Amino acid sequence: MKKIFAIAWKDAIIRFASKSEWLFFIILPLTFTFLVSGGTPSGDEDNRIRLLVVDESQTAISQQVLSELENSAAVRAEVVSREEAEGQFDDRRASAVFIIPAGIDIESLQNASAEVELLQQPNNLNASIAERAVLTAIRRVSSSFSAAQNAVNVREVKQPFASEAEKQTYFENSLEMAQSIQEDAPERVTVVEGTTPDQVDYDPRANSSAGQLITWVFIPLFGISALFAYERQQGTLRRLLTTPSRKATFLLGTISGQVALALIQMFLLIGFGVLVMKLNWGREPLALSVLLFASALAAAAFGTTMGTFIKTEGQASGLSIMFGMIFAMLGGCWYPLELFPSAIQSAVRVLPTTWAMEGMLDLGLRGGGLMDILPEAGVLLVFAAVFFSVGVMRFRYE
Amino acid sequence: MKKLFLIGLKDLKLMFRDRAALTFMLLAPFLLTIGMGFVTGRFSGGSTGLSDIPVVIVNLDNNQLGDALVDVFNSEELADLMEPTASTDPEAARQLIESNEASAAIIIPKGFTESIIPSEGAMSNPNYTEPEAVQIEVYTNPSSPTSAGIVKAVVDEFISRVEEGRTSGMTSFVGLMQSGLVDPQNAESEAQDLFQNVDQTESSAIALRTDKEGPDAVEFDLLAYFAPGMALLFLMYTVSYGGRSILAERAGGTLPRLMISPTQVVQVLGGKVLGIFFMGTAQVGILILASAILFQVKWGDPLGIAALILAAVFGAAGWGMVITSLARTPAQVGSTGTAFMLIFGILGGSFISLEQFPPFMQTISKITPNAWGLDGFTTLALGGTLKNLTEPITALLIMGMFLFGVAVLIFNRNGLVQQ
Repeated sequence: MKKIFAIAWKDAIIRFASKSEWLFFIILPLTFTFLVSGGTPSGDEDNRIRLLVVDESQTAISQQVLSELENSAAVRAEVVSREEAEGQFDDRRASAVFIIPAGIDIESLQNASAEVELLQQPNNLNASIAERAVLTAIRRVSSSFSAAQNAVNVREVKQPFASEAEKQTYFENSLEMAQSIQEDAPERVTVVEGTTPDQVDYDPRANSSAGQLITWVFIPLFGISALFAYERQQGTLRRLLTTPSRKATFLLGTISGQVALALIQMFLLIGFGVLVMKLNWGREPLALSVLLFASALAAAAFGTTMGTFIKTEGQASGLSIMFGMIFAMLGGCWYPLELFPSAIQSAVRVLPTTWAMEGMLDLGLRGGGLMDILPEAGVLLVFAAVFFSVGVMRFRYE
Repeated sequence: MKKLFLIGLKDLKLMFRDRAALTFMLLAPFLLTIGMGFVTGRFSGGSTGLSDIPVVIVNLDNNQLGDALVDVFNSEELADLMEPTASTDPEAARQLIESNEASAAIIIPKGFTESIIPSEGAMSNPNYTEPEAVQIEVYTNPSSPTSAGIVKAVVDEFISRVEEGRTSGMTSFVGLMQSGLVDPQNAESEAQDLFQNVDQTESSAIALRTDKEGPDAVEFDLLAYFAPGMALLFLMYTVSYGGRSILAERAGGTLPRLMISPTQVVQVLGGKVLGIFFMGTAQVGILILASAILFQVKWGDPLGIAALILAAVFGAAGWGMVITSLARTPAQVGSTGTAFMLIFGILGGSFISLEQFPPFMQTISKITPNAWGLDGFTTLALGGTLKNLTEPITALLIMGMFLFGVAVLIFNRNGLVQQ
């Protein structure tokens, strides 16, 4: 036991001998969590997509369209001048610009000459959402006019109007009625958020926080390979051959030390999530601890196996970052897994990051407990067992 | 000049012999680009990677509008996007969401149609009152917010059409009634006629013109953003790798040996910088070429691409030299370079779009070659040419020159060969 502790302590000293290690241990993970989560809206703030609106018409109709946009759940209208809007659009600081040109009034709607314009950044999801919102807004405004116009047409079929004035009056009355019907329309869709118990508020930033935690803990654990390579290059592994220490003792010391450091790192990041970002990670501490421990073991085991294939420290640090980033991205840590094609979603189940992320989402988003994360923790422990076995079998001092 | 070139070429050869470095410089950005291609739907033809969204529909209405909504989800138009399954039990449908087997459940309650379209006999009833609204329930999976949002948008769109049809039908009918043009005996059938196809109304009083069609339409390939995004991310690693070779030669004793040869310090440093420049250009060039060949990415104006790659590498190499000048050991350059790579990656838009950052972060991002480089690549992908790249190329060249100046000052202060 003393040997294991001594080896773990020695590894910690080697790892933190360089001040830059603090960058990877805590500074970069916090920076990334903050920035990525900053780009993810929280449940409290206005997370609607910014839509620049140019109102050159300044009529009752354009005001109605604006009012509809203000009620939109998808976009946040910001009225600016055409010059300002085009400038921001050209600099790609705005996903979409909605232009209501001069002359959009009742008359133009009646004679079907009203046309508005939407500029969209190509292949931009926000721009597509903005288009939907604009379509809904103009549909709501124009639908009362269409309804009134339709009423006039229906009436004209039944009995032609005696004069243009009568027709206009009929149109205006119908318009008033249509607008009144529209205003009184009840809500016909209700959205219920599934699975999350009432005491857990859904916060999309939990996704980003969990993803960054896994990314930044897995990368240094994959870096266990660099520790082996360093000792091999320095010749200290060979020296260990001359001491009465078994291979298993050495491996256990190295791995347990790194896993312990990873757990400290994880709890610091969790603490940051709870205290600074007000995320609900502390609801099921036992389940969270089990999951984090299983994740750390799986990552450390993969790092051990990597260490038996890699020759130099330089190779190890590059490859651990590469594998860490690729596993994180494909495991759904950077972008939700739902965005990937279904075949890829199935294929990435061979990665430990996928299971770790799923477990974190069970806890953070679905309000799960210990029983809910046991399958994920179980799979992670199987990963750990397989990779440790390969690592121990292949491990050589020289 | 020949010496400079020889030193640079030697460093380039060394890089191509280092398999681990090559893997990190070329394979990692390439694999991450493929991942981005999946996420953005580039390989599946959509605007996101979303397809076959599993949605459960419970139609308890079994009437005109309930059936119409089911038809919408089973339509040809949504065939690639949605994978609807029918259920008759709302609780079972909710359970599928809870077990993460579907993104959303749509529960259409009994009486939904009748709450919108007056039932037979209702309109002729003098005591007719509008029925209570019956709400469709969209039960969403919190771990699939995007998919659930799309399902909700489709339902909203359907309801919006229905509401339009209802408004139109009601307005016409009430107008006729008030004008005394409805025969009470025919009121029922006339009302039914006006409410027919209530879910297929399309208002066109205001037309929306978008720039997605017509001669000005732009086809933007998302990989033309993400591939250079990843290449620029790993370019920062490459330039620090190049810088590391200066310190490695110093530690290995080959740098002092070079100094006793008839080679000036400026030539050695210049040769090293040229080596970094060669490495960066080779890396970004190979990645751009590979994406063009393997993924048919249309990069735009070749002259613009070439100029932009050279400028981006120059700007990044400046950072590489500053990092090297401040470090004492090759390992320090490696770790600091990797940290810079990651920080510049997120600040420069390689991971998430700069649009999502607050304005002050967008300003800070201008210190990164990634932000300027991506700006240029996006301009080219949108159909721009070399003459539209004046701003990013100038910024990158100024960045490079300024940083080289800083690096030379630090090297002069510390001495190139002293440890």
